[in-house]
Amino acid sequence: MNRRELLQFGATGALVGLMPRIALAESGRIDVYITGDSNIINFWNNIIKPAFEAAHSGYRLNVVSARNNIAPIVDRALAALGSSTDPQVNLFDENDPNLPAGAIEKGLWVDFAKAGLENYDKINPVTKESDYGLPYRGTQVVLAFDTTRLALADAPKTWDELTAWIKANPGQFIYNRPDTGGSGGNFVRRAIHEANGRDPSIFRIDNYTPGESDALLAKGFELLKDIAPSVYGPGSYTADNMQSIQLLAQGVVTMAPVWSDMALAAVNQGVLPETTGFIQLTDLAFAGGFADMTVPSNAAHLDLTMKLCDLVLSPEIQAKVVTEIGAFPAIEWKYLPEALSAKYASLQPASIPVFPGGPWVSAISDGWFRTVAPHVQR
Amino acid sequence: MSSADPASGAAASLLAAEAPVRNDRRGLWGLLLVAVPVALVVGLILWPVALSVLDTLSVTTPEGRRFSLAHYRFFLSDGFSLRNLWLTIWVTAVSTGLLLGLSLPIALYLRFSHSRLAGYVQTIALFPLFVPSILLAYALIRTLGPNGTLDTLLNAVGLPKIPSPYLTPWGPIIGLVWDNLPLTLLIVLAGLGNVSQAAVEAARDVGANRLSVLRHIILPRITGTLLVAACFVVLGLFSAFTLPWLLGPTVPEMMGPFMRRTIIDVDQPTQARTQAVVTFLFCAVFAWFYVRSTARNRRENER
Repeated sequence: MNRRELLQFGATGALVGLMPRIALAESGRIDVYITGDSNIINFWNNIIKPAFEAAHSGYRLNVVSARNNIAPIVDRALAALGSSTDPQVNLFDENDPNLPAGAIEKGLWVDFAKAGLENYDKINPVTKESDYGLPYRGTQVVLAFDTTRLALADAPKTWDELTAWIKANPGQFIYNRPDTGGSGGNFVRRAIHEANGRDPSIFRIDNYTPGESDALLAKGFELLKDIAPSVYGPGSYTADNMQSIQLLAQGVVTMAPVWSDMALAAVNQGVLPETTGFIQLTDLAFAGGFADMTVPSNAAHLDLTMKLCDLVLSPEIQAKVVTEIGAFPAIEWKYLPEALSAKYASLQPASIPVFPGGPWVSAISDGWFRTVAPHVQR
Repeated sequence: MSSADPASGAAASLLAAEAPVRNDRRGLWGLLLVAVPVALVVGLILWPVALSVLDTLSVTTPEGRRFSLAHYRFFLSDGFSLRNLWLTIWVTAVSTGLLLGLSLPIALYLRFSHSRLAGYVQTIALFPLFVPSILLAYALIRTLGPNGTLDTLLNAVGLPKIPSPYLTPWGPIIGLVWDNLPLTLLIVLAGLGNVSQAAVEAARDVGANRLSVLRHIILPRITGTLLVAACFVVLGLFSAFTLPWLLGPTVPEMMGPFMRRTIIDVDQPTQARTQAVVTFLFCAVFAWFYVRSTARNRRENER
C-alpha cells in the first residue's frame, strides 16, 4: 500500500467511525456537559453512560467536557428559552443555578423539589443548597490518619481533642500551606471558625472589612501559633495536598487534613495503605461542598433527563461515587451497601460549613504567612 | 587602466556609483529583517516592563497618579520581604559555589581523560538536563525526604536517621544544584577547550605539579568562562520557582514563590511588581558582568 492509499484508507475509516454518531445525533441524544476534571468525565463515560444506555435502548448519553467554559452553554440555553429552539444540552454536571442572575426567575432551571424524582427523598438534607441544583457528589476536608498508630476509637473528634492530640504527639501532624491546595487552607479556616465561636455565618462573601475582619482572623492564627511548635518540622508545612498524603504514606506523620476524594482515591490506588482511617470533627466539620447537577427546563427529552437524574442518585451509582472517585454520596449512607457505610461512617458530615472566597482569601493567606508560618524558628 | 580607454573608465565609474546604492539597499533589507525581532522585543518585553516599573514608582491618589517610592519603601522596611530576599541571595550564593566547585573537577576530568569511563561520566553528568524539575522535586522527596530511600538504606545498615533537607533551605539547594549541573558543566567544558594540551604539557615538562598547572595555566584561561557560568546560574536561580516551592521551607520563601503568592493569593500586583523589579536589579548586575565578560573575550579573540 503506498502512502496515498494509506491516507485514503485512513480517511474512510475515520468517516465510518463518525457515521453512527451523525446518524444518532438527530434522535435520542442526551447531552451532559461536564465541568469537572478527567476523573469526573471518566466516571460519566464509564459508569453512568453504560448504565443509562442499558436501561434506555435507542438513546445515547453524549458526555461533553466543558471545563471552565460552561457559561456560554448556559447562556445558549437561556437564549433558547421561550422559543422552540433546542438548547442542545440536557444536564450540567456541576453548575451554580444562581448564575446567571435571574435565570431561576425566568424558569431556566428545573425545580427538583417538584420534579417527583424517586430517589429525591434519599438525599442527605445537609447537602441541599437549592431546589434548582441536585447534589450528587461531594468532597470535604477530613482528617486522615494511620490506624496502626492511632486507633479509630482514640481519634480526636473535636477541635480541642485534636489540638490536645497534636501537642501530645509532636511532629506527628502536618498541614499544607493555605495558599495552595484547599486541605491546609480549610484546616486554617476551621481554626478561624473555632476562634470565633464556631459560627460560620460570621464570614460572608460581602462582609470583609479591613482591620475589623483581620482581628477575627488573627484570633484563629493564635490557635495555630499555639500548635505550630508541635507540627512536623517543627513549624514545617507542605506545599500541596498531595505532599501531605505522601508524608502520611511514608509513615512520617500520623495524621494530616486531606480532601476526602483525593485521599479515598489514594487508598483505592494503593498510594495510601488500607489501614488509613478517616474522621470528621463532630463539633464543626471542615469546609467542603457538593457538586450540583442542573437541568434546563427547555431541554429536549426532559422526562428521560429526569430518569437520568434518578439513576445518578440511585444507591448503585452513589456507591460508585464513593468507590470510583472517592467522593461523598449525596444520599444518606443508610441507603448504601452496609459494608461501605460501615467503612466510611465516620466521614459522614453532620453539617458542611463553607468559607467565602473573595477578599477573605488574600487576608487569610497574607496573615497566615506573616504571623503563623514564621512563628517557629527552625 | 589608462585614460585612453574612456569606455572602461566610464564603466568603472558606473560601477563605483552603483556599489554604494546596492550596499544601501542591503542595509535597508538588513534593517527590515532586524526590525521584526526588535519590534517584538520592544513591544512584548521592554514596553510592558517599562510600564510595570513605572507602576511601582507611582501611587494612585484621589487627584490622580503621582510619583512615589512608597512601594519600595514598603519592601525595604518589611522584614518579611527582606527575609525572603535574603534567603534567595543565600540559596543562590551557596548553589552557585557548589555548582562551580562540582563542575570544575568533572570538566577537568572529562577534558584531560581519554578513558572510556569519561564518556559514561559525561552521560551521567548531563542526564539531569532531560529531567523536568517537577519530576525531580517529587523524586527528591521520595529519596531524600523523611523515611525516604536514603533513610531506609541508612537504617538497614544500622546507621541513624538523617535530618531530612526536605522543607528546609537545603532542599531547594540540592535540587537546584542537580538541575543546573549539566548547563554549568557544558559551559566550563567549552571554556576548557581554550586550554591547549601543549601549554599543559609544557608546564609539566618544566616540573609543574597538578596544582600549579591548575593555578597558573588552566584557571587564568577559564576565569572568564567561570564568570559566564556563574552569571547564567545566578540568573536561573534567582527566578527559580518549582524546586524552591515544592522542596523549600514555607517561610522564608524564595522570590519566585513569593512573587507568585503575592500576585495570586495576596492579590497585590503592584507589590509583586516591586518584588520583581528588586529581583531584576540583582540579576541586572550579573547580566552586566556577563555582557562585559563576553565583550572582553571577543576583543581578546580579535586581537
